[in-house]
Amino acid sequence: MADSDYSIDGEDASDDEYVGPKAGSSTRAQASSGKRKAQATEIPKPRKLAWETEPSEAVANPVEAAEEIDEEVLEKSVQEREEDRKRKRLRKDTKPFQRGIIRHVVLVLDLSETMLERDMRPNRYITMIRYTQEYVREFFEQNPISQMSVLGMHDGLCIRVSELSGNPAEHIAAIQGLRFPRSLQDLPKEPKGSPSLQNALELARAMLYHTPSHGTREVIIVFGSLISLDPGDIHQTIKACVRDRIRVSIVGMSARLRICQEIVSRTNAGDESEYVIATDQELLRELLLATTTPPVIRSTEDTTTTPAESAAALMMMGFPSRVVEDVPTMCACHGNLTTGGYTCSRCSAKVCSLPVTCPSCQLTLLLSTHLARSYHHLFPLRNWVEVSWERARERGSRECVSCLSTFPEVPPEDVDDEEMQDGERLQSKMDGDAARQRRMDKEDSEEQKASESARYECRACESHFCIDCDMFCHLVLHNCPGCLSMLNPASEVQENGDVVMTG
Amino acid sequence: MNGIDGTDRQVKTDEGPPPSLLAVVLDTNPHAWAHLSSTLPLSSCIAALLIFINAHLASGNGNEVAVIASHSHRAEWLYPTPHTTSPSHRSKLNGSTSSPNGTIKIPENPNKYRPFATVEQSLLQNFSALLSSTKEAHLAATPTTLIGGALSLALSYIAKSVLRHSPVDTGIENPLSALADSESSHTARVPLTSRILIVSVSGDLANQYIPVMNSIFAAQRKRIPIDILKLAGDTVLLQQASDATGGVYMKPEQPEGLLQYLMMGFLPDATARRSLVMPSAGGVDFRAACFCHRKVVDIGFVCSVCLSIFCEPNLPDNLCLTCGSYLSLRAAQTATPALIPRKKKKKKRAGGGDSATPGGSTPAGSSTPMHL
Repeated sequence: MADSDYSIDGEDASDDEYVGPKAGSSTRAQASSGKRKAQATEIPKPRKLAWETEPSEAVANPVEAAEEIDEEVLEKSVQEREEDRKRKRLRKDTKPFQRGIIRHVVLVLDLSETMLERDMRPNRYITMIRYTQEYVREFFEQNPISQMSVLGMHDGLCIRVSELSGNPAEHIAAIQGLRFPRSLQDLPKEPKGSPSLQNALELARAMLYHTPSHGTREVIIVFGSLISLDPGDIHQTIKACVRDRIRVSIVGMSARLRICQEIVSRTNAGDESEYVIATDQELLRELLLATTTPPVIRSTEDTTTTPAESAAALMMMGFPSRVVEDVPTMCACHGNLTTGGYTCSRCSAKVCSLPVTCPSCQLTLLLSTHLARSYHHLFPLRNWVEVSWERARERGSRECVSCLSTFPEVPPEDVDDEEMQDGERLQSKMDGDAARQRRMDKEDSEEQKASESARYECRACESHFCIDCDMFCHLVLHNCPGCLSMLNPASEVQENGDVVMTG
Repeated sequence: MNGIDGTDRQVKTDEGPPPSLLAVVLDTNPHAWAHLSSTLPLSSCIAALLIFINAHLASGNGNEVAVIASHSHRAEWLYPTPHTTSPSHRSKLNGSTSSPNGTIKIPENPNKYRPFATVEQSLLQNFSALLSSTKEAHLAATPTTLIGGALSLALSYIAKSVLRHSPVDTGIENPLSALADSESSHTARVPLTSRILIVSVSGDLANQYIPVMNSIFAAQRKRIPIDILKLAGDTVLLQQASDATGGVYMKPEQPEGLLQYLMMGFLPDATARRSLVMPSAGGVDFRAACFCHRKVVDIGFVCSVCLSIFCEPNLPDNLCLTCGSYLSLRAAQTATPALIPRKKKKKKRAGGGDSATPGGSTPAGSSTPMHL
């Protein structure tokens, strides 16, 4: 579907304005750029503004089609289009990359006067504040053992909104506090002055300085301005960031800036797809939420990084058990009187919520479920492939394996196929299998399209699913109901890797 | 604001309780039922379950039910009946898929409410088909049950049913917003309330840890409570499932009273549960078991790459047993920024000549650690 509006938009977002050298990037970088592009393309309808919509797509195509083909086919093609749109949202690349599960993220908000622009409703500033709160919540849902800090670029300075911590409530309260301060003495931080990327990067670098080497160090900048008013040479700062293994992603709001492009490409090993522009608020939200997926780890880090620094590590973690108390006692984290909580496994200090770093002995405390939440990033469910009529006939599938909704019927076979000898048929089947295998390998990296038979097939268990189950399984469940319903160790390994990961 | 634009006019609110979908996952692990056969044979369990299902169907006009058997070698639909999908079927019938061989003849019985008869007939037929297809080799292959697959089937069936009940959602709902605010906006629009009941008899489910955990998180996100009725065996995994999703966990002392437990403990749907005090498991053990010795650990060592848990830091060759990456323990200690200790000398001097020269005691502030 080359003419679909999404692919056009996707190229808009990442390819069109490529300036830097792309050919020299490693395969991993390319793969991750593919992933990013996928995220850029998973854009819902509202992104398309009215004047950008080409009439040919929205109106003329079905009309033209109606002239040529009859009603039934038209209906089907509309349905296919719909399915196409849904499938676009799936991640293209579900190869299990090594991902930085333990993330240290500094979220930098632009609090300069450009944020008073009203191109987003009611203005950029309020939109950003609203979406970042949602973002923080989703970030910790997806990355429960990660740490975050929020900074703000305000009037040439970079102010600290919240400290590096793993508690989403603190960050959300701090972001809300920008507009509605909790104490009466503080004035609300209205957008003012110019932003300074250099100050922001320097402060973020300082905050991430002491983070352990096995985690990622990321800076995510929400940037609404077109200028950066820096006190010194920002290129020195970029160099320092590269040296400290900091990866910067920028979500812009106005136009693409050369300096942002440079910051992103230098800190991401030449990959510029981390620099994205939100043209309206829906897209801003999408792009923000897209960064909740843990980043891939690049095998060949820059030469400036010593290999020992990015080494994996064994982390000591405490798995505390819940205590139930009749009398409220003081918690070590806030000093509030609470009944119940968790006691640190090493020092027996009581904390009220998990995950948290023990306030007295600095041990990371969490539940085993928090670790389990990240497993689907590590063992993603592979994309399912479209099923041709031929294949559907071969399998004889009539309904979705998981929801039992019926598929459209397979059209009758061609006559010549019918007259084929048995031997020939076998031969052609084997050819078909080989071709299918090839096609599957190829499609692993290709984009997801709608299937002509409205069936989607899991490669491992060869079950057929409907589009809704396809979406549900890949976006929410992260399991293949077909593979898990059969006791077939081979397919299970391929699917979820759960043989090795038991516990 | 919302009142003005008139969108709320389209929302039609039904009086009375919303329709409720009950997905029952029946653990039919033959090994476990063999142990239980003296107290509660499988046949009487199914009889009790059928009564329970009838009670559920009878308690609301729009109520639906789905039953899945989590057997030892496959997870199978019991109700609704799936059509068989077999490649060989094609050659016989020449691709014409019009004759569904999965339909079940329902004997006409004027004294039986028809929906009850439908469920009963198809459930029993599918179940006996499942049992007769179970070979000895299947039983020998594994002592456990495919609860992960059955849960996944139930969840995707529920997801699809919810879509069917509110088809408006399909176009508007975008996946990321569903991830972000599944709680607030969607429950208001979705009229179907659904829940999962797992009647479990198997003990060890650790081999399906990840699939079951993924299912739990999906249920949590979709606000589907998972109720557990544990007739035998014990597993922390299912306790966590009910705890995380807000379901009921019951482990009756006497499995013979199955029907009573089902009727009193599990019949109320989500609407009724709001005004009831539901039994719960109490404390749930969330401690992790290490991957190397399966010991329950208080303090574990976690591989930063694959998040495997080990009970001791001394791994062979410092390689992770799961993913094989080289792990250094040195980096595990978080390097907190050290503060430069205040110089003692200065303090002494300040103590000596404090009153004499007030200007001299002004702290120079040089000892503040700077990072920039």
